[in-house]
Amino acid sequence: MRPLLHIEAGARTDLGRVRKNNEDCYSIDTSLQLYVLSDGMGGEAHGEVASKLAVQTILTHCRQSENSRATPIFGESSPDVSERTNRLASAIHLANRKVFETASANDEQKGMGATIVAAWIEAQRLSIAHVGDSRAYLLRAGTMDQMTADHSLVAEKVRVGILTPQEADASEMQSVLTRAVGTSSTVEVDTDEQVLLAGDFVLLCTDGLTRMVTDPEIASMLLTSTSAQEAAERLVDLANDNGGVDNVSVIVLRIAEKSESLFQRLKIWKRHSG
Amino acid sequence: MSRLVLKFENSSLKEVPLGTRPVTIGRAPDNDIQIDNLAVSNYHARVYSEAGSLVVEDLNSLNGSFLNDIRVERAMLKDGDNILIGKHEIFVDQAHDAVLPEDGLRKAPAPRVNETMVLDTEERRKLFDMAAAAGERSQLSSKRSRIPTLTVLYGRTDQKEYRISGKLIVIGHSKMATVRLRGWFLPAVAAQINKHEDGYYLGRGDRVPTLNGVSINGLTKLNDGDVIDVSGVRLTFLYRD
Repeated sequence: MRPLLHIEAGARTDLGRVRKNNEDCYSIDTSLQLYVLSDGMGGEAHGEVASKLAVQTILTHCRQSENSRATPIFGESSPDVSERTNRLASAIHLANRKVFETASANDEQKGMGATIVAAWIEAQRLSIAHVGDSRAYLLRAGTMDQMTADHSLVAEKVRVGILTPQEADASEMQSVLTRAVGTSSTVEVDTDEQVLLAGDFVLLCTDGLTRMVTDPEIASMLLTSTSAQEAAERLVDLANDNGGVDNVSVIVLRIAEKSESLFQRLKIWKRHSG
Repeated sequence: MSRLVLKFENSSLKEVPLGTRPVTIGRAPDNDIQIDNLAVSNYHARVYSEAGSLVVEDLNSLNGSFLNDIRVERAMLKDGDNILIGKHEIFVDQAHDAVLPEDGLRKAPAPRVNETMVLDTEERRKLFDMAAAAGERSQLSSKRSRIPTLTVLYGRTDQKEYRISGKLIVIGHSKMATVRLRGWFLPAVAAQINKHEDGYYLGRGDRVPTLNGVSINGLTKLNDGDVIDVSGVRLTFLYRD
């Protein structure tokens, strides 16, 4: 008896109110239950190139691994997490290589890069992998927890205790990342796992949301929306209403019990019993 | 003649012509543009000309200077820009300026402020050295060699003791459970434990576990010797040598 969860997804990306182009990018594969979000950087239009290439590479690699178990693994696997989570990290290592190679081959694109936050769901287990300051949140039973640790200078300083969170919020160094996809030949990828429960919300977002909207505001938007898509729209609108200084992108996942009618169960039973 | 126009709620308060000397902005009375507001630092920012371009520079003010709503430390200015200091706006007016070579100015790359960047390797190394030093101070290293375990005090499980490894530890009936509960009508996932950078955290599953007799409310950090009750099973969390 495997517990069945229904996952409803909503997503939106927006230019914001200040920037001239949108360097954010996301992609969703509902058949794979794979969700990827990226914030590009590198000036002119190169940030867009980097984030799109990274997202596409990750989706392609994960799809391929589903079809063929012989798909090579990139980067080091960790014994601390499942095969599925290691595969997601592998996809990010490959994306890093692709973006770095592309940037190295073209003088104009030198230095381009991207953040990545990716979620992959298999049965009840959620795999998370990330690089940079795009975040994953889990909202469960009214409590919202950030599942990812930002790879930014201020966040790392807070973690080692040489900066207070208040000083970090006021810092002018908030845009300085300590890790990104595509800016050097290798990258360290962070991974995490969670068991999902009915009633959970998972949020993936770029810093364009979290710099404009507080955590309690985010939680209240998620809880008071009637659908995942509505929550995504309202979060982006709120970021823009609060100033919208950066591109803003969100993916909202609403986890519910899968309710199958007796008729559907009979159909599934009939199909399996041939 | 280029000028700066100080505005508050859309009404102009003062105009200052731009010459070769820097224009200072702040709360102290000896500034060229004085703004009497507590949100403004004594010497808050200045505007000056550098290599033919107009530049605004924040002087480490408490509340910052904003160029077209983006916080800046130092940024190039162009005609029509708005500098926001506290609740006052300073409008940059270069429209009547015949002296500056306009084309030359326009061709210069637009100032990219607050652009995301990545630390180079040298700076990263410095940061990690600091992190390592801080880690030693908090004596985290001594704890790292100790192995976290879950010992079953009572209840039906597949083992009596579990050495914990990995980032996700599931307690329940599910196949992916580390601590597998035995019996009828048990939840697939009764509770879960997640490894974070600073230790292990207990979270709910289909049941809400109690920690030392109290129902947990969200993720709760586990300490040496804590007692967990869930689905008729009692476990103790211990660091062993």
